[in-house]
Amino acid sequence: MSTPISAPLNGVHHTARPTWKLRETIEFYRDKLGLPLVHAISARGWPDGHPDFLHFFFDSGNGSTIAFFYYIGTERPDYTKPVASHFYGATHTAWQVQDAADLDKWRQRLEQVGVPLRYETRHEIIESLYFTDPNGYPLEVTYQLRPMNQLDADDALRTMDAAMALEDARDPAVFKGIDDVWQRKGAALLKEVV
Amino acid sequence: MPTIFVLDVPEFEPLVAQARSQSGVTVTEGPSGYWRIASDTELVFGRKALGFKPAVWYGALTGGLVGRVAEFGRDTLRITGA
Repeated sequence: MSTPISAPLNGVHHTARPTWKLRETIEFYRDKLGLPLVHAISARGWPDGHPDFLHFFFDSGNGSTIAFFYYIGTERPDYTKPVASHFYGATHTAWQVQDAADLDKWRQRLEQVGVPLRYETRHEIIESLYFTDPNGYPLEVTYQLRPMNQLDADDALRTMDAAMALEDARDPAVFKGIDDVWQRKGAALLKEVV
Repeated sequence: MPTIFVLDVPEFEPLVAQARSQSGVTVTEGPSGYWRIASDTELVFGRKALGFKPAVWYGALTGGLVGRVAEFGRDTLRITGA
């Protein structure tokens, strides 16, 4: 394959998900979180079989939006309902704030408007608040403690190269846990110094 | 010889500092961007003394491991030879 052309991206325009709770969703995002409702599409369903729908957008800062589809006259299928599983919670939206002071403002605001915090935690390079919208979609507000740099990128490649090699083995006995990744990565690093 | 590699970034720096304070533990530079922490016997770290929240503590070996995790509890990480 010839080298693909460089195709730059410029941040998030929108991410979208379905809702079956129109008023609750608007009151949550616009009124409780304070995200302006900035655009709404209302249209006949097209092509065939597509229900009539509303598609509406909330401003989440820096040119980004979070969007919803409301499919008129439809029932929420079971497969879209939240379940208590890490697999379900893995799909989430994390909004960025500038610093710890702004994260604290979000902590205060969520309490003021009665949105319960699920938890808050400090990770390696981000500190986050976690909560849930009326649809059950997981949300996060985070600030980044330091910029990511080339060291982070090089280290990420070493970690993921080790993990992919273990996955390639297609053998559960080979890829039992994260220790296998650490050991494979450690062995590769040791070769570079001895 | 149990060895861990620690990426040279602020959030993992306490591992390097704690290792330096222990007798029988060597801290050397390299490969580029990593600290290499090794011991002739075993490596032991304490979460509270490191000031690590759980999310960082349970990823403390992400830099790389030569040896075996003998204990990885809420407060104690112990690494022995292979």
